[in-house]
Amino acid sequence: MTVSPSSSLDLGLSLRPPATVMDLERLGAYSPTRLSFARRLTRLMHDQAWRVHCTQFDLDDKGYGAAIYRLQTPAGRYHLVIFSQHLEDAKRTDRVIADGWDLTFGLVEGEVDDALMETLAANVPLQEAGRQHPRLLVISRANKSLRNFEAFVSALAAGQQPDVSYLKGAGYLYRTTAVYGNGKFGIADYDRLKGNPDFYQPFLAQMAAVFVLREFSVEQVEHIARARSSAKAAALTPDIRRYLGIGNSTGLGMAPFLINHPQLISQWVLVRERALAIASAQEPDEGDRARMLALCRRATAYLADTCVDDEAQRLRNEVAHGELSQAIAWLELVPLDIVLWQQLLDWANTQLSLETQELINTLLIELYPEQVDALNDAMGADENLDLTPDMPLIQLKQILETHFDWAINADYDCENARYWFWYQSAEKEEPRLGVRGEELGEDKELALAIGPTAQRVYRDLVNVLQQQPRGLTIDLLMEFPEYMAAIRRIQTMATTAYGEIRANLWHRDMKPMHLLRAKLSFLGAHRFDPRGDRWVRVTFFQGAPLLSDYENHATAPEIFDDWSFPVAPNAEQTEMWK
Amino acid sequence: MKISLNELQSVCRKAFVGMGFTTGHADDAAAMVAWMQSYGLDGLKALTEGLECVVASAVSVRPDVVYQDADLAVVDGQQMSVLSSGNLALELAFAKARIRGLAVIKIRHCRQRQLIMGYMSRLADRGMNVTAFWRHSQAPITEQVVGFRARSAVPSIRVYELADIPEDDMPNDGITILMANHVDLLPTVRSEDEYKLLARHDESDLLAAKQQALEEGLTVDPEIWQQLKSFAAQTLVEASEQSRSGAGPAE
Repeated sequence: MTVSPSSSLDLGLSLRPPATVMDLERLGAYSPTRLSFARRLTRLMHDQAWRVHCTQFDLDDKGYGAAIYRLQTPAGRYHLVIFSQHLEDAKRTDRVIADGWDLTFGLVEGEVDDALMETLAANVPLQEAGRQHPRLLVISRANKSLRNFEAFVSALAAGQQPDVSYLKGAGYLYRTTAVYGNGKFGIADYDRLKGNPDFYQPFLAQMAAVFVLREFSVEQVEHIARARSSAKAAALTPDIRRYLGIGNSTGLGMAPFLINHPQLISQWVLVRERALAIASAQEPDEGDRARMLALCRRATAYLADTCVDDEAQRLRNEVAHGELSQAIAWLELVPLDIVLWQQLLDWANTQLSLETQELINTLLIELYPEQVDALNDAMGADENLDLTPDMPLIQLKQILETHFDWAINADYDCENARYWFWYQSAEKEEPRLGVRGEELGEDKELALAIGPTAQRVYRDLVNVLQQQPRGLTIDLLMEFPEYMAAIRRIQTMATTAYGEIRANLWHRDMKPMHLLRAKLSFLGAHRFDPRGDRWVRVTFFQGAPLLSDYENHATAPEIFDDWSFPVAPNAEQTEMWK
Repeated sequence: MKISLNELQSVCRKAFVGMGFTTGHADDAAAMVAWMQSYGLDGLKALTEGLECVVASAVSVRPDVVYQDADLAVVDGQQMSVLSSGNLALELAFAKARIRGLAVIKIRHCRQRQLIMGYMSRLADRGMNVTAFWRHSQAPITEQVVGFRARSAVPSIRVYELADIPEDDMPNDGITILMANHVDLLPTVRSEDEYKLLARHDESDLLAAKQQALEEGLTVDPEIWQQLKSFAAQTLVEASEQSRSGAGPAE
């Protein structure tokens, strides 16, 4: 079964069905694609010739102080304002409950005068506890990777290049712990960004802030190294600079986003699936096959390079590495056929793990930029869960049976099926998971699990329908007003191509990590390094172009466009685009 | 203090849940208040002036339908806030108007009637022409008429005082709402009676207010904000060592 075309764009495309794609475990196996927001940003900056440069760099010898970077786009001017401060080691935590960080920063729309700088300096370092300015598009904070930071400063101060193997575990000097947008703590609402020609797409402003922070992190370590040893200090080589990313540490706080923005998530998935359908329908020639092989080899090298602490993820990477090697052998041996890509996917889907299947899908999408990059424009969604009160109940019943079969037919009565409940802690309003019947807070449960609610709606609907065979949705709601949110969501999501994430969020076996990874992959994160089921460290922009690359007209185009699955400098490089 | 629209809607939503609203009704009530505030129509003032009524209304989300036929419905608001069940009453009329082309609903005995505009905006966004009428006071008689054109983000609003008091001047604490699927119902005051226009909000004024709110944030009274946050805090679970482990491992 494939999905029905939801627009003329999908006519003739063989899209995978929602039952396959919206499975939570599969979503939790996603890797970032060329359509991810981080990749989108670096292409956009190149295509539109953005100019980014430092306008203020007032740091002391230890790297504490303030810096400002100006972003000039064809349509507007923005400034990233960064505050660096001393932080006691005991206070350095990635948890959202922290109240101090090594760095805090914000992306400002327009100019930053002295008065605004004073306001920012008084509030941005406080993050949630501050009252933030409405011209801030993004605020965030980051902590040092102490090991990497010290290793880099020491090496550079000694006039040497740092050992890049440090970056295979944690590919960054700083790790953000939350990147806030959309009106949080007084900053600009997303509604305002919708009219902004540069940042109207979701998360592009956040990505821009993080991308520029990466540049600051390099300039800061070089500055500290020079302060330690001005005569001998070295600058990082461009290759190592590019191999430095920015880390991110994410916990359960991200999970509700995926549930509370179902239309957006469905749209992101649809765009990815369109890209996959387009790519897999291409008729490859030998050049395409050679490029696919080169991409597979680079991804294999990336997996071999990646060091993660989590044993389960390490095993998944190991399996993916082995399976990708099998895929390379397969690709080298099979005869070239016009349906080669479909044959590859069919083989992968029957023989390989979910992780490797989705990795191959990612690489296939990578192969056809001209055909898929325009899809990036459709990564936004008008998020309105609208009721259709005049919908006949018989039609609502059919919608539930067709699109929510996974929910209405599930068993929510057994202990394991209702094991977890979600709630919000008084500590910074952080979402948490509790064990039902054992932990406090069940009476304040967050209504995140749509599956059990859909089942209750269905059962009551069937009863009402027996009494009122010609009844309307409004008749059901007048009897059960508490279903307003659920019915609105059911009716709306049934009109989307991919609908809901198909998972019982109460189930004991449900892995919140899958939710986190799904979203992070769309943002462009890689090197997933879970800390248990509820906490993950990732890296952004490792391998991405540098600001100096944008200034240099001689920079090769692939620097801006072809930096997925980065491999450490000096490792054996694959020539990608012969 | 300045807050963003998203903060206002989010805190209101949690506050309504904290008061006892179901999640769907809390969503709608928060959207109604935020809509009013974002267009410069003092949604927070309307909310907080009748906060006790809103809290009392939290448990009553089922409108009491006194009469209905295919085109018309009369519901009893039971002296509750329109934030409580105004959404369902309007959805009832919306369903009728979609089927019959035009529908009328009368919500009797309801409070905080200004806030109904927030839900009317959603129906307009879904393609319905919506006009509401209510009488503010009896002596002097002041009336308000609010009209949304289908697909328009903002209404035209007129508030006027009648010079002549009609013979039948029974107190009117209800709202009458007309919905038309295919024809405009914009308010144009053409009464033969003498009247004094007290307030007039045109679409352009309201759009300008929204733009200003997006650029500069919304100004709210810190005490009111704290009051809302206190209600919102009732949705939160006190932290404990056990709950901290529910957030994942610490470093």
